[in-house]
Amino acid sequence: MRGSPVSLAKKGVTMQVSRRDVLRGGGLAALLGLGVMTLPGCSSSSGGSGAAPGIQDMSLWYWEGGLSETVVKSAVPQFASSVKLTATKVGGDFKQKLQTTLAAGAGLPSITGVKGEDMPYFRSAAAKFVDLNTLGAADIAKTGLAWKWKEGQDLTGKQLGYPIDIGPTAMFYRSDIFEKAGLASDPTAVSEAVKTWDDYYALGTELHGKVPKSYPIDQLSTIWNIAIGQTSGRFVSQDNKFIGDSDELHQAWLITTKAQTLGLNAKSGQTRSNDEQSGKIAATFGAAWAALDLQSEAPKTAGKWRVASNPVKPTNYGGSFLTIPAATKDPQAAFDIIKWILSADNEAKGFEDAKIFPADPAAWVLPELTGGSEFFGGQKTIEIFGPAGQLVPSQYVAPSDGAVGSPYNDELTKVENGKDPEKAWTDAVAAAKQVAARQGVA
Amino acid sequence: MSPASSKLLRRARAERPGARRGAVLRAWPQYLAVSPFYLLFAVFGLLPVLFSAWLAFHFWNGLTPVTPAGLQQFKFLADDLVFRRAVVNTLIIWVLATVPMLLISLGLAAALNAVRRFRLFYQIVLFLPSVTSIVAIAIFFKAAFNDQIGLVNVTLRAIGLHGIGWMTEYWPIKILIAALMTWQWVGYNAIIYFAGMQAIPSDIYEAAKIDGAGAFRTFWSVTVPMLRPVLIFTVVISTITGLQSFTEPQVIFSSNAAINPNSGGPGQAGLTMVLYFYQQAFTNNNFGYGAAIAYGVFAIVALFALINWRIVARRES
Repeated sequence: MRGSPVSLAKKGVTMQVSRRDVLRGGGLAALLGLGVMTLPGCSSSSGGSGAAPGIQDMSLWYWEGGLSETVVKSAVPQFASSVKLTATKVGGDFKQKLQTTLAAGAGLPSITGVKGEDMPYFRSAAAKFVDLNTLGAADIAKTGLAWKWKEGQDLTGKQLGYPIDIGPTAMFYRSDIFEKAGLASDPTAVSEAVKTWDDYYALGTELHGKVPKSYPIDQLSTIWNIAIGQTSGRFVSQDNKFIGDSDELHQAWLITTKAQTLGLNAKSGQTRSNDEQSGKIAATFGAAWAALDLQSEAPKTAGKWRVASNPVKPTNYGGSFLTIPAATKDPQAAFDIIKWILSADNEAKGFEDAKIFPADPAAWVLPELTGGSEFFGGQKTIEIFGPAGQLVPSQYVAPSDGAVGSPYNDELTKVENGKDPEKAWTDAVAAAKQVAARQGVA
Repeated sequence: MSPASSKLLRRARAERPGARRGAVLRAWPQYLAVSPFYLLFAVFGLLPVLFSAWLAFHFWNGLTPVTPAGLQQFKFLADDLVFRRAVVNTLIIWVLATVPMLLISLGLAAALNAVRRFRLFYQIVLFLPSVTSIVAIAIFFKAAFNDQIGLVNVTLRAIGLHGIGWMTEYWPIKILIAALMTWQWVGYNAIIYFAGMQAIPSDIYEAAKIDGAGAFRTFWSVTVPMLRPVLIFTVVISTITGLQSFTEPQVIFSSNAAINPNSGGPGQAGLTMVLYFYQQAFTNNNFGYGAAIAYGVFAIVALFALINWRIVARRES
């Protein structure tokens, strides 16, 4: 899709060249096709004749940073006596590739990851997945986080997803800039000082007043994401009604846009990494996994960041699942592999490898999590994220949530360019209603 | 169709059907040789066109069963304020890109026509951007036009001017996308114009010289009118491609954040028609509506192609 409309039409000028090109491309595609066709042929024949009887082929799809590399690698020998496990890190748009494969119904993996934000969408086709409760998931869920397991269920209680990680949100801030502004910089004190959004703005105003080049908010969508996580209903209700014009959502909008009217917004949407390095962003909000982004975007600021609790209450942003497509021949074997990959010990390795915050609280007490983090100046971040993970309010997220929510984010970028916040709210609600109608929401 | 080929066709029709089948069978290596294009076109061209036409009258989220929608998707499209915004964006970007691009191309072609040494080198240099990966170009532009640390704004500030919000404001975003399109295709169009100029008989120039026309007069009164068919060709092609711009805003405003991808940047200022189609179909999983948008885009492009054609037809009669 990318680039093809332009380049092909442009080449259409000289027809001979174009046809020759297409033919050449066709030949190449045919060769590739042959290659693709022969590859599985090879592996299945070697699997059939070379491997001992009783060993079955299984495949696992995940994405870069979705699971711990070391755990995935060690899963292969772990199950070698009964399963030949092939793990594939699928690049590009993961949701798109999984959707295409599920719609085609062929070439499906035995186990696949589903990103947290895509779970509501895949939940709409629950029949395409195995109910993990038939394999013993209910017992495991008892010791897990109820709200997270519920996210992986459809409305009838069918358990589609086994939680990998969660995204409890917190406030990330630069302790050095806080000190420079004469504010308390210790995580406990900061958490105390920002109990409400009003507190937060009072602190932010003081900070920006003392250190004018620094802002307490990176962009409006960051606050909006937290504020809507603190509402009870989001945009679409459980009985599929549009509630994107509710009072609590309007309240969240007012909280969010206040950052703009108070002049506390760094507007770093397109220059985030640079602004994190330069200290223009003195604070931001994000999920536990965002620590990895922060580390890679602003390596020079290592040791200066700290983590404190959100104003009002924690929310969840992201956190993925492992699922078993309905076509998988031996779901019990697949479930055993999932259980092993997501055991408390292995989950702790995932946190160490890639800041994948374990969904299983049993992993939170392991040394990988209880130790101090260098990037956060030795702070034991589990002291913030642990309680936050427990306190995340359960929220219904409709399959159309992302689509219906997108006009609000569009309008927030307009507010950042000077649009009146109330006018932007009216326009966002109007646009969201149109999207909702198209998504079959009443 | 040329007279020779229509004569061949008539002869072929006059022959017995059995003989024709025999001719087809005898020519199997040729048919085999051309078949990859038609097979690929059928699978990746024709089938999606037909399938999306069918989809435009249905609801489908990509996973659950398809349900009929009648004309509902097109009703949604007619009311969709965001689609209107995308159409306006696309037209603005198209004008901002096409008009300067074709004028600069004409100037470059004239310059190329005038030089005698290293002409092949200049031709290659001019042609290179059009065969360069558009994703690579877009990533480069994204870095160069970064509001704070981009080469362009740093240079502007160094000479005492204000930086421009290339990535954040309504008009600069459109100018940025138009600049990218211009940069990529200006050399290509210049090569086409240059080829056209080479085909102009030199005696016309000699006659103009004898009549006392200067360089500029010759250019406007001889070169440009003689290039008219080539000019019309480039305008039509630039219209068709310019109205389908997608990769430029998609790559420039892509981010690794999961929030609101493919929305065309701040204020949706870079949301083009095709990008909106992509967002609705593939980000929002609304494939029926996406198909309806695709046909809306088709109608708009066809309309502009028709306008172009009318202008050509009127001039020729």
